[in-house]
Amino acid sequence: MSYKLCTEKDFEAMIGIVGKEFATNNKAITAGYLAKAIMGLESQIPDIVVRPKYVEEIRKILIYCSAEKIAVSPISGGLSGGFACPTIRPGGVVLDLGRMKRIIEIDEDNRFCVIEPGVTNGELWAYMHKNHPDWAPPIPDGAPPAATVMGDAIDRGFSLYTSSVGPQGDNFMCGEIVFPNGDVVRTGSWALPFAKPFYKYGLGPDMWSFLMGSQGSFGVITKAAVKIYPHPKHKTVVVWGMSNPYDMQDLTLEVGKKEFGISHHTVMVQGGNYQLVMTRWPKDKVPHDYEFYEGMGISPWWMNWEIWAQEESELNHVIETIDKQAEDFKKRAKDPDALKKQELHPKQIASRMKKPNKIAIPYSFWEAGFLFITWYTPWNECAHFCDMYTKAAEKHGLPPTIWVASIERCRQAICMPIIGFDSTKQSDFERVQDLNRETTEYALKQGWLNYRPDPYIHIQAYYQAGMYWKYLRAFKKLVDPNMIMHPGRLALP
Amino acid sequence: MAKTGMERLEELRKEIFKCIHCKACRFAYSNEPDKDGIGEFAGKQGTILYEGMVDACPAGIEYGWEAFWNAGKMWIARSILSGDLEFSEEVRDVFLPCITCGQCSAQCENKVPTVDIIESLRAACLEAGIPMIDKHEVVDKLVKERNNPYGGKAAERFKWAKDAGLEKFIDNKGAKIAYYVGCTASYRQVEVAIATAKLFELLGMNFTLVDDEVCCGSPFFRIGAVDTAQELMRKNLEAFKNVEMVYFSCAGCYRTFTIDYPKWMAEGEKLPFKTQHAFELVARLVQQEKIKFKPNKELKGKVVTYHDPCHTGRHFAIDMEQEMIKESTNLIVDHRAIDKAIEAWYEVPRIILRKLEEDVGLVFKEMYRIKIDSMCCGAGGGVRAGYPEFSLRTASLRCDEANAVGADILTTECPFCWRNLSDANEMYEHGMKVLGILQMITEYNLLEILNKPTEKDFLTLSIREEIGHLPKK
Repeated sequence: MSYKLCTEKDFEAMIGIVGKEFATNNKAITAGYLAKAIMGLESQIPDIVVRPKYVEEIRKILIYCSAEKIAVSPISGGLSGGFACPTIRPGGVVLDLGRMKRIIEIDEDNRFCVIEPGVTNGELWAYMHKNHPDWAPPIPDGAPPAATVMGDAIDRGFSLYTSSVGPQGDNFMCGEIVFPNGDVVRTGSWALPFAKPFYKYGLGPDMWSFLMGSQGSFGVITKAAVKIYPHPKHKTVVVWGMSNPYDMQDLTLEVGKKEFGISHHTVMVQGGNYQLVMTRWPKDKVPHDYEFYEGMGISPWWMNWEIWAQEESELNHVIETIDKQAEDFKKRAKDPDALKKQELHPKQIASRMKKPNKIAIPYSFWEAGFLFITWYTPWNECAHFCDMYTKAAEKHGLPPTIWVASIERCRQAICMPIIGFDSTKQSDFERVQDLNRETTEYALKQGWLNYRPDPYIHIQAYYQAGMYWKYLRAFKKLVDPNMIMHPGRLALP
Repeated sequence: MAKTGMERLEELRKEIFKCIHCKACRFAYSNEPDKDGIGEFAGKQGTILYEGMVDACPAGIEYGWEAFWNAGKMWIARSILSGDLEFSEEVRDVFLPCITCGQCSAQCENKVPTVDIIESLRAACLEAGIPMIDKHEVVDKLVKERNNPYGGKAAERFKWAKDAGLEKFIDNKGAKIAYYVGCTASYRQVEVAIATAKLFELLGMNFTLVDDEVCCGSPFFRIGAVDTAQELMRKNLEAFKNVEMVYFSCAGCYRTFTIDYPKWMAEGEKLPFKTQHAFELVARLVQQEKIKFKPNKELKGKVVTYHDPCHTGRHFAIDMEQEMIKESTNLIVDHRAIDKAIEAWYEVPRIILRKLEEDVGLVFKEMYRIKIDSMCCGAGGGVRAGYPEFSLRTASLRCDEANAVGADILTTECPFCWRNLSDANEMYEHGMKVLGILQMITEYNLLEILNKPTEKDFLTLSIREEIGHLPKK
């Protein structure tokens, strides 16, 4: 696929659409859109950045760029998402949707809110905290407050309710999308002009799911209806520690499978190893031996259950059930002696329940940069994944930090190694990519899926899913005939 | 031999590469999404929801493009270091309209020293042959000619003292204590200089106004004109070499002497005197119950709020944090002590304000964004000189926040903040009175001495030096 490099004439065209205040080809400004961290290590300076505010502006930009074969990459607001956001080759036009930041509607009865792409997690949370305190949006737990609700959705990411209700993509009811062919499509019940966004599946086959995970590679989502959930007063966190990932996995699965009245209440079920604590601090300013962390009461592995309930009795029932299950699990555990409940200080509980939070940010403090290499596995294979990854990371001289969380009551796991490294060193980059490549080969053989594919490393996944990729490409061709949207994502084109 | 801007940028490479572009740095209270606020307020600059985290990067708010928010600038610095971008006037024009308020640094979980990075970028840009903007060239020329950026005559630097009957303190030989007045209080906000000197006099302090005092160099360190700044630094070090303690009433001068000078002095060279801001002394005397305040009918019931100047607030807090991180061998244990020290530092002016509330009868009400999350007044970083309209809009945003809590009086402890807030207050009709805390104490004759302080009290280490260290193990 070949693309046109942007010219002065193209820049003039962009100015003609959004006005000169909101289009730039000033390299000093466009360089500000670089990001080589967290989810991907490739990024290049775009040729033009445009900040549209209206759907019609976006439509005109896409029609123009499609006709001219100029690559377009939309970003909703956040940039830290690595490959989901920054431009890679060819640069082309970045659509910065940060000006589209209206919270359009909150409907407590039908339990949805309608937002534009630039609405950040922090803004929506603050707005609802003030105006709809009994309800909360499904914002991600660990994504930074400046990340957007929409960005997380089209990445079908993880939210604070995911362990209970399923992937973030499932929280999105209806959307409005501008395709590069110039069509503006409203999905689900929104397909009808007067319908509320109350039903995701609308008039037949569900088109919205087709866009979940698209990362902007099909079109620009300009509005979405997102489910909101109760935000009850009775909340706590229960933690059990263990010595190995297999006991972590199996105990959590036993709790997860209880479903009614138990795991439906566990909104966030997440755990990992003690390095999650260690690698949030500078490498030369923390003890590296486990003994120190043991002294702090931190087990080598642990699992947190964040429980939300309408009544205190309900909350207590869930806590008791988890504790009882854990006691009983000792009979089946690999290392029953290491299985113990961790008592948290109220401040620790409050800190863990803070949303959105900055918990995922300081892994750069370890050295100078980090990468999340995230995978989905069936829940009962997550320990295998952790085992494999910790060994691989250590082999490459990288810290074996792993975070794991349950999706939909342990139907799936999101497994996220956090690779702290010194991004000022080319040799470290290479080590990380070697690790990524090597573990990808292994993981694909197990049938595990990468969360946000790196087009250079994870392309293998698409090679193995040839028929699926063929249809993905055909769908894209339908709405994006010149393949201008976010080149490189999903190995498309 | 002092380092060049590019050398400093290289030194900061690892810090620059710690930025993951998460953009938490754009907000005040980026880690307090549930913070209860004061709701929505329609001010002169628009409507803001003061709840949870709130946008707080003045340049980002003003210009909107990613490059103007801090994270964008960190990636521009990275592009420069990686050779993807070269210095140009366009690059300069992106990182010059930054007030270097340090909000971004305070919010950063990876502790990226953003202010140092931006100042190094500016210095490196000048070294690369990119000219200053015209407005900065004017002040640079003025300071070279007259030792102050306002163009005031050297002979008139202490005219305010003569006019206020404080002449005896000019070149007061033998005094161990000096009051460094600074250019803004000498040539513009003379009220601040008079109030501070009179307060010292009332307290019985034997101090000197050093005749050879010149601009501290702050604006020039900030805009990257480090040669100019260092020349001024040398002159001041020479002029003040015979005193033991230097007091300040200007947040920027205090920051420059205390934080910048040691960084730019030769290796092994140390400041020949101790430094502290006048409000530290007053707070300590309040704590020691050596002074109190008199009731005042005019002030009784008035709502007073306080604007934390970035130069005494965040810049010292961040410096304290960086120094304590250097000291620490286990940050998991020590980070709480660091947070505690920062909180204690921000309490210092509030010790005075609470005492004023108790004794005078005024009502002290905090704005929404305070302490380490305080919103900047818009004056610093060379922005008031270079981008006056943007600077005043930012000051007006801050005045909006004071209006939102119903303030009658907006206090601060920096003549530069005072100037900008005062101008915005007038220009945008915010309807408040802007006053320095010490100015309020002197002008309303509030000071009551219970136990006359001694010279030892005046020469005692600053509160900052007491709290800015990890507890001894």
